[in-house]
Amino acid sequence: MAEILKVTDLVKRYKELIALDHFDMSVNEGEIFGLLGPNGSGKSTCINCIMSLLTYDKGSIKIFGKEMSPKEYDIKSKIGIVPQDVAVYDSLTVYENIDFFCGLYITDKEKRKKYVQEAIDFVALNDFVKFKPKKLSGGLKRRLNIACGIAHKPKLIFFDEPTVAVDPQSRNKILEGIEQLRKGGATIIYTSHYMEEVEQLCDRVLIIDKGHTIAEGTIDELKGMIKKSEIITIEASGVDEKDIEAVRELPNVYSVDYKDNCLKVEAGSGKHNVIDIVNILQDKGYRMKKIFSEQPTLNDVFLELTGKQLRDE
Amino acid sequence: MFIYYIKKVIRAKSFLFWNLAFPLILMTCMHFAFGNIYNIENNISPMNAVLVSVGEGNYQESFETVMTELSSDDADRKLFELSYADSIDSGRAMLEQDAEVLFVVTDDDISVTLAKKHSSTAGAVARGVTNSFRQRYALMADAFESDPASAASVLQMITEEAEQSFAKPADNVFSEEPNPYTWYFYSTFVMAIFFDSMSGVNIVGDLKADVTREAMRFSVSPSKKSRMIILAFTARLIPCLLIAAVQLAVMKLVFGLSLGTDPVKLIIFVVSAVIFSIGFGVMCGLLFKGNVESRANKATAIVMTSVFLSGEMIMQIPGLFEKYCPIINDINPATVINMAFYKMAVCGNDAGFYLNIIKIIGLAVLFLVIGVIILRREKYASL
Repeated sequence: MAEILKVTDLVKRYKELIALDHFDMSVNEGEIFGLLGPNGSGKSTCINCIMSLLTYDKGSIKIFGKEMSPKEYDIKSKIGIVPQDVAVYDSLTVYENIDFFCGLYITDKEKRKKYVQEAIDFVALNDFVKFKPKKLSGGLKRRLNIACGIAHKPKLIFFDEPTVAVDPQSRNKILEGIEQLRKGGATIIYTSHYMEEVEQLCDRVLIIDKGHTIAEGTIDELKGMIKKSEIITIEASGVDEKDIEAVRELPNVYSVDYKDNCLKVEAGSGKHNVIDIVNILQDKGYRMKKIFSEQPTLNDVFLELTGKQLRDE
Repeated sequence: MFIYYIKKVIRAKSFLFWNLAFPLILMTCMHFAFGNIYNIENNISPMNAVLVSVGEGNYQESFETVMTELSSDDADRKLFELSYADSIDSGRAMLEQDAEVLFVVTDDDISVTLAKKHSSTAGAVARGVTNSFRQRYALMADAFESDPASAASVLQMITEEAEQSFAKPADNVFSEEPNPYTWYFYSTFVMAIFFDSMSGVNIVGDLKADVTREAMRFSVSPSKKSRMIILAFTARLIPCLLIAAVQLAVMKLVFGLSLGTDPVKLIIFVVSAVIFSIGFGVMCGLLFKGNVESRANKATAIVMTSVFLSGEMIMQIPGLFEKYCPIINDINPATVINMAFYKMAVCGNDAGFYLNIIKIIGLAVLFLVIGVIILRREKYASL
């Protein structure tokens, strides 16, 4: 797959604050690339530098193999952005907004008309084309925001936290839409601090914090970077401290917590972790009500790599 | 694109209210409040007056001379159709018929009696004339004793003073009491034009990516900034000019105000004043911090202060500045625009008009050049 975006050694300072510290990033054609990090980690700064909106102190940004600059109109014409805040005009209708922003890229009226209609179909705003944005719900506004960013059929699309303050139904529609765009041949860069979305959507993820790359790879690769690979929870009443200690001494187990008749065990990779724990408890005659095992989330990855929660807001 | 820009501007309720509706409402209110002053100032038709002299002395004779002058067809402003009565009773009888005001002059005083049906101006004019005479008579009496020849010039002075009280010289725009009717209307029109500054602030909002998210969309698009600046500016300029034209039409056709005699000068004035105001707004939008609303609020504060200092609410203010600190009038944009308009429409003072127009155009060009240079910037230090 061709490399569509390459960021090398990017440094951006706001006076004393280093927003991006020798930051590297690479995105391949056709993938959905997740940029994951807590608020203030540098995600939006990174996107704004890539889009040539922000000056930066050092580094290089190449898009479609060319160095990006504000005068690179050819590159700009192939890029779409869906900003974090809804960026539409309240005095124009839904149709007019999409047509207006599409007009920044497409000058041919007939072609634009077709593209605008396709964008409206894509975000399912057909019933609202004559509505002013003020009359739309939060979710519909977000869909309009997306339509304005993708109507000109860009090859590279930046989604900057597009699902903030959106109801679950609209969120699912937005995520489905992003998947469809990828199927249509677009490359997506998706920033969020919602790890579930990133896990669901992205082929590769870069975790950023304080302007540094914490980790980068596929979801499985990221999860493989931490020693915790399984969280086993067993409901059993009256477990002795002696038996808890026996569980703790099992190979791969590195953390055991017993609270409210609930035994929570964090274990590294091992084929028989659950069976080994259940055997100990069965041998001692404990009755177990519920047993379940979870894979670690990206939040666990972030927690282990940085020592703090991803949603430290 | 351009049509959408225009739609965006004319659909903005605040723009239509502050630039079009509010000044017209204010003008209508002023028409009802000051329409009578306009009548006094400009449309005084000579009123029927009766003069009764009781006794024969210098006082009566002098007053009679003043009244005769003010009733003469040769007077600059004829105030009275004067009749004489032999006695107070016959004077009162005439008052009950068609006279509006009865003057009874004795050895040392004048009494004024108004008819039951008198015009609102009759009392003001009659009192103005008698008060002026009373104040000046002592001076005249001295003149009669010491230099009888100079008494005639004092009499002339009283007559002229009475005439001028009801016909302010229009060219003295910095006098302590400029013509209030025209002044307030022109100030309101200038205020309406100066409100176009908000359009300038909105141009900044349209184009600066560190101010609005919508502008960020422009910055990341392949559209050239210079094209966007021209589109944004023209789309604001055209509605502002149309609104100014509507206001001028209302001023001329509804309120009967003079707009000068030269339509070319009027067009030069309106176009340059609107461009100046938009340029001023662009500068405010660029200099202030915060979101568009915050920048617009700060610009509004400056515009309102400037308009206030130009005499929109207290018309004597620019006159006082001219007396004690004229530089304030020279640098206050609203006063400069006001003066250009007043000198063109009322005074016919070409030199004064062009001087102010040059100031306006010069500043407009400066603001727009600085504005374009900053607005064309593509990258920001922070967003």
